[in-house]
Amino acid sequence: MPDFSLTPEQESLRDLARKFARTEMAPHAAECDRTSRFPEEIYRKAFDLGLLNLNVPAEYGGSGLGLFDQCLIVEELAYGCGGMTTTVIANCLALEPILLDGSPEQKDRFLKPFCAEYHLAAFALTEPSGGSDPGTMRTLARREGDHYVLSGEKCFISNAPQASLLLVFANVDPSLRHKGVTAFVVARSAEGVTVGPDEEKMGHRASSTATIRFDDVRVPASDRLGAEGTGFSLAMRTLDQTRTPIGALATGIAQAALDHAASYSLKRETFGKPISEHQAIQIKLANMAQAVHAARLLTWRAAWMIDRGQKGTLESSIAKCYASDAAFDVADEAIQTFGGYGYMREYPVEKLLRDAKLTQIYEGANEIQRIVIARELLRGYG
Amino acid sequence: MTGPTLVVGEVHDGGLSDATKEAVGFAQSVSGKENVVGFLAGSSSRAPAAGFGRCGVARTFVAEDPRLDGAVGAVVAHLVASAADSLGADLVVVGGSTFGRDLVARLGVRWSAAVATGVTSLSRTGAALEVRRPVFGGRATETRQLEGAHAAVAIRPHASAAPPESPGETALTAVSVEGIPPLLWAPQRLGVKVVPRGAGPSLTDASIVVSGGRGIRAAENFRLIDELAASLDAAVGASRAVTDAGWRPENYQVGQTGKQVSPQLYVAVGISGAIQHLMGMISSRVIVAINSDPSAPIFKVADYGLVADLFQVVPALTQEIRRARGQ
Amino acid sequence: MEIVVCVKPVPDAETRLRTAPDGTTLDIEAVKFVLAGYDESAVEQALLLREANPGSKVHVVSAGPPPRTEEVLRASLALGCDLATWVETPPGVAPDPVSAARALARAVSAVPHDLVLCGKNAGDDEAGVVPGALAELLGVPDFSAVLDLRWDAGAARLRFQRNTEAGVESWEAPLPCVVALQQAWNDPRTAKLPAILKSRRLPIAKVSPEAAAPTVGTTRPTKFELPPPRTGAKLIEFKTPEEAAQKLVKVLKEEAKVFP
Repeated sequence: MPDFSLTPEQESLRDLARKFARTEMAPHAAECDRTSRFPEEIYRKAFDLGLLNLNVPAEYGGSGLGLFDQCLIVEELAYGCGGMTTTVIANCLALEPILLDGSPEQKDRFLKPFCAEYHLAAFALTEPSGGSDPGTMRTLARREGDHYVLSGEKCFISNAPQASLLLVFANVDPSLRHKGVTAFVVARSAEGVTVGPDEEKMGHRASSTATIRFDDVRVPASDRLGAEGTGFSLAMRTLDQTRTPIGALATGIAQAALDHAASYSLKRETFGKPISEHQAIQIKLANMAQAVHAARLLTWRAAWMIDRGQKGTLESSIAKCYASDAAFDVADEAIQTFGGYGYMREYPVEKLLRDAKLTQIYEGANEIQRIVIARELLRGYG
Repeated sequence: MTGPTLVVGEVHDGGLSDATKEAVGFAQSVSGKENVVGFLAGSSSRAPAAGFGRCGVARTFVAEDPRLDGAVGAVVAHLVASAADSLGADLVVVGGSTFGRDLVARLGVRWSAAVATGVTSLSRTGAALEVRRPVFGGRATETRQLEGAHAAVAIRPHASAAPPESPGETALTAVSVEGIPPLLWAPQRLGVKVVPRGAGPSLTDASIVVSGGRGIRAAENFRLIDELAASLDAAVGASRAVTDAGWRPENYQVGQTGKQVSPQLYVAVGISGAIQHLMGMISSRVIVAINSDPSAPIFKVADYGLVADLFQVVPALTQEIRRARGQ
Repeated sequence: MEIVVCVKPVPDAETRLRTAPDGTTLDIEAVKFVLAGYDESAVEQALLLREANPGSKVHVVSAGPPPRTEEVLRASLALGCDLATWVETPPGVAPDPVSAARALARAVSAVPHDLVLCGKNAGDDEAGVVPGALAELLGVPDFSAVLDLRWDAGAARLRFQRNTEAGVESWEAPLPCVVALQQAWNDPRTAKLPAILKSRRLPIAKVSPEAAAPTVGTTRPTKFELPPPRTGAKLIEFKTPEEAAQKLVKVLKEEAKVFP
């Protein structure tokens, strides 16, 4: 990666996302956070501009972007609002399994109509019994002729209330444990699918999160992705792809926090001078800047590697883990820089801390990331 | 040796426009009173041309033809170029108006002139002419050298004062409108509607502007701005937030995508000072900001500020101004 | 209708202005150049006219140095323009307005042009000179400060209004002509992501500028000055609104000398 500059094309993509984030998302971020409103009109605008189905190839009507370009866009969007960006990447996350393991016929059948108009998808893996341990899932898929019958419950599913397409992982044979997990594309409108109420969350309140119950939902076998028992591997390969954009999302939140803190420090005066002239604040800002730069570059490198066909598990785990921890720390220090004002909801920084927290938990909690990092690392020494 | 300077005027309300008088003042200070010659074209230009005499301009070219009032700028450029040539002029000066700017643009080609618009000052160093003008919405000033034998300059509104008026005659020289290509007479001006502006001068002409922003909170509160403006005989402006919300029509908007104003005094009420707005008013001579938020960016660019609740201070200010002006 | 739109790359509105080392111009190192704001409106107007008059084409033209001029042409293509032509001038500072008009005239006169659209002025030098000079070179009328532009195919007339100091003028004119739009009174569309990607592969025709630059009728920047930094508002202290009002009026009268 000798050349760190962006191509003019990449600059145009980044500018598009930046303009959308600053003019369409940011002005509504505080209101959506306060009222926990899902701003469908903003997501529709994102769809219109090609900012929703980022990972779906152009032949199916998506934007067909590589991972690096997706990360450029995701960071800019997250600068505008972390919650709204979660809606976008949760959508991409749900479509990724179809891209990885869908047959050509399935890709055509699912993706083309999905991308032709505004739609949202949801990735249903997590269960009340286990998020970090999907091998123990209790949602079952019982084979009946040319159908499967799904029963169970998924929780904390982003986009669930608004999704038209669900990517559901269920076990066809619990005795096989994770080797029985299978992936299915399920229509939200299918009989037996019930979505619970939108959860009241600490942050990302412009995104919806809910429980989905499957009560004997009949799913055609032709809607199964890949062979039975390949679902766990598919889920892991999916997360290998989508982990890096979380690093970008966290970087966007961290950059916003740094910008707020730095510009505030130039205006706010204490003891006769702007606080930016006090060493305590300068050291804080320096640490924050280091963290933001590092988060971005780790994310960029992981994305670059994966775009080149490398697995990038170690690098993407490091990027996600580092960037999300950095976002939380930078947001924390930003609040501290603002002092009392930082604690007031009227000012934009406390939202950033609440939004940063989720990035340490979802898409693979940071504890799991560290285990993955250790495992990948030690492999090299074994 | 300075050659003659031709000042091209516009008719407004039967006389010379204020912009024209400013152009005369500018030309006289740059070229010397004796070198300034006037030019006026219109359906009836002889009578308004007397205004040049009262400004101390001894000679004026007049082109009179019923078609000239609704004529395109290209026609006037034809007439001005030949008048300038017959005079042996080396400089044409026009007032700060749409007409003025368009005319010098045409003269840049037709008269092979070095052109500059929005000019705030012009100096001669030997044979060379140098102009200064604001750029980037008034955030910077550039100096340009005008190269060549001819120069055509449109000044910025209020860049110069009009000369004091005194009785005086100007000798008229008729200019023929023969030889104008027929295709330039083809466009038709069908009518002119004076836009109802409520009390007060137009935004771009006014020497005082009072603008209201998002801090006004509701359409019905905007009357506080109207009343303050009326007390100062000022024009009323608005930030983009106000026009986007529909509290005032778009022609009130001061800003990068609205009107750019350069009044002597700009009063920003309940306006935060986003760069979009600043670019519309930053070149105002004096800026006063009234805002309850002490960290609003407007206070960085204002000359005077009141960190105050506008709903309390603006009515008090209106009253105090009326008292001070004996209204 | 064959519509030509003239566009210019200008520094982004948020650019921090700095003087170049030689003191004559803006320091363009690290400046982000974008399609001028009024030009976006002109492109939008052209696209709207194309939609209203099926069979029309929009040809975007720009005269200026690499790489920024190519970038705004691509941005215009991404918005939906059909064709693009670039008159490439030497790298660095852009040509002065009349020289730019001469370069544009070379490109415009080489293609079909019924209507030539320009923005009100560019956001940098704000000269507003190109439309008039270009029209003079093309030998056609020009109209500035135009709002509400429509093509009346039946009468073969362009119908529009002009917002001038006299008021709002109503006009009709035959083609060809040059029109400079008043301001951003339409809502420019945003280029969609697929169009942005596609625009990188579209061809841009090249036209060379005049071989010898004319030596008469040009201007040259010699100094670029930033105003002394505004030190911020003098805040007026007060206890009551009445006191605030009295103090402000006094200051405007005696210190600022702007009281009417």
